[in-house]
Amino acid sequence: MTAWGSGTLSIDDEAYLTYGSLGGGIQVGHTFRFKEDKPVDATMAMYVAQGIHGLAYGMILFLVASGLTLIFGMMGILNLAHAAFFMLSAYFGYQMLAWTGSFWAALLVAPVITAAFGILLERFLLKKVHAFGHIGELILTVGVSLIILDGVKAVWGTENLTINVPPILKGLVKIGVMQYPIYRLFIIGMALALLLILSLVLYKTRLGMVVRAAVSDAEMVDALGINVPVVFMFVFGVGTWMAGVAGVVIAPILTVFPGLADQIGMDAFIVVVVGGFGSLGGALLVSIISGFISSYGVQFLSQYAVLLMFIFMAAALAIKPMGLFGERE
Amino acid sequence: MNRMIRWALWMGGAVLLILYPRLFGIYYSNIFVMFAIYALFAVSLNMLLGFTGLLSFGHAMYFGTGAYGTALALTHIKGLPLIPAVLAGFLAATLLAVLIAPLVVRVSGNAFAMMHLAFGQLMFYLALKLRHITGGEDGIGGFVIPPLSIPGIASWKMTDPTYFFYFAVAVIAGSIWVLWFFTKTPFGQIMVSMRDNAKRVDYLGFRVPHTKAVVYVIAGGFAGIAGAIYAIFQNLVAAYDAYGILTSFWPVMIIMVGGVGHFYGPICGAAIFGLLDELTSRYTERVELVIGLVLVLVIMYAPYGFTGFLTSMKMRWRARKAAYGKLGGTQREYSGNEKLVS
Repeated sequence: MTAWGSGTLSIDDEAYLTYGSLGGGIQVGHTFRFKEDKPVDATMAMYVAQGIHGLAYGMILFLVASGLTLIFGMMGILNLAHAAFFMLSAYFGYQMLAWTGSFWAALLVAPVITAAFGILLERFLLKKVHAFGHIGELILTVGVSLIILDGVKAVWGTENLTINVPPILKGLVKIGVMQYPIYRLFIIGMALALLLILSLVLYKTRLGMVVRAAVSDAEMVDALGINVPVVFMFVFGVGTWMAGVAGVVIAPILTVFPGLADQIGMDAFIVVVVGGFGSLGGALLVSIISGFISSYGVQFLSQYAVLLMFIFMAAALAIKPMGLFGERE
Repeated sequence: MNRMIRWALWMGGAVLLILYPRLFGIYYSNIFVMFAIYALFAVSLNMLLGFTGLLSFGHAMYFGTGAYGTALALTHIKGLPLIPAVLAGFLAATLLAVLIAPLVVRVSGNAFAMMHLAFGQLMFYLALKLRHITGGEDGIGGFVIPPLSIPGIASWKMTDPTYFFYFAVAVIAGSIWVLWFFTKTPFGQIMVSMRDNAKRVDYLGFRVPHTKAVVYVIAGGFAGIAGAIYAIFQNLVAAYDAYGILTSFWPVMIIMVGGVGHFYGPICGAAIFGLLDELTSRYTERVELVIGLVLVLVIMYAPYGFTGFLTSMKMRWRARKAAYGKLGGTQREYSGNEKLVS
């Protein structure tokens, strides 16, 4: 994990994101363009812009954290390789884009391949070490994560690879008096759509009912004659797929490099811990809070902003050791 | 007779250690010091993981705090002798453990592991960002390393690798002995029973969180000693080496490969990893890949690590001897009593 990348990467003329120097968090900056004839309250516009940035980052976090928390809630497995899958998907997306030239193809295919890898991990490795308890599973996923992290370096090298957004998502859209990059809004919209679909499946279908039941008591559901291992596999696949989607979607903003997993992985773990293990609602709420903390934190505290997340976590855990919405170990 | 053999073995080991720098030269002496540092670091973590059943992915924060404590003490206090400098690292790590213990002793399992992952990263970022204290990514280096001196009698320069080898090995061996002794005390036995069934220990009237806190502080303090020796050894402490996430994962892997249920497991593990690192880095840059593969293979096929494997071999051998030696000898197989904690 040597590539603590740094540098400023512009996605267009107006907005830029930097992957902070030495893992210093995702620093969000924005330059504003106002109409000359209409003086506006720049501070207000800044707050709004940072708010949208924060929301976009929070949504990405949610995509990663929701898979993590679902997998944990159901199987009691804390998948430390989750962030590595997130990064792997970004690399797959880059490769698909290089082969087909279509961002949409990358967005469709890369997460599915990533999910297939996740299912293989669950099927052939995690299942075998289940008898040795949580520690065995944690160590196994750490090993897999190391293999992926070093594997992508061997295949794609350590330099930053860029992914271009399709022309339709390029450029800016006007919101009120300020202009805002479409791509961020696309991220927010897509995450919201996924959230909607996920909650519809979870709360309105029979499959969702089985999954929720298995989250609370897998043994009992198994006794009712439902093939719980297949449900587990399905949930693991969906969780990894969501991380994969997040990986491809974030790639045009942050570029693809081996350190990609570190920052977002850590933030996603904090989200899961603070939100409560296994709680989807907690993950959503804390993701959005974390997004705001990082975007406004960068605004006001610049380089110390990255500490805010950890202070937030320590404070939340000091009050509720099991997380805000967590109930059990 | 048995005791005689044991003493002879210990004496032989001690003589070998004394002759080691002469036999193998400076390069391998330095490798041995690094192995010893990681052995102590892993043994201290094993107090939590193997004996109390608490998995920490942030033990580097004590290692790093010990290293920074010693480095800062040597930088800012002129003429500080060697032993107090090591003690400074120990005290810094102990203090941090005392501060963090109340937050973490209430949880166990995944929550404990994750909180440590996050606290460890917090320390990492603090070390990076508080540049005026820690030197950021450049770290603190080039501080004066005092000689080990007994006033009026003798003084050994620690910049000499051979003398430093003896000093480091003596301190680390002493620390490991203290930890071993600790596991043999009645308190150490409570620690083990807490791993096996915390609820029952609670019913017996022992205070589980308090016990955990004491073990936690001890584990942190001794990791601090490992860090202090590391700081003097490298004469440089930088954020990534001291607090980096790999520094936290490293001792966990060492324990798993060496064998989680045994006191000596981490020491075997550190030796295996030292060899592995030395050998793989000669042939390939992909050390992490190799380590990841080893980890996956170990957890899949030998979940009790090297010492667990040895124990099962020993059991099998005894069983065979019993079967052939006399009629009706009981067939005993390794039962896997050193259960991993779930």
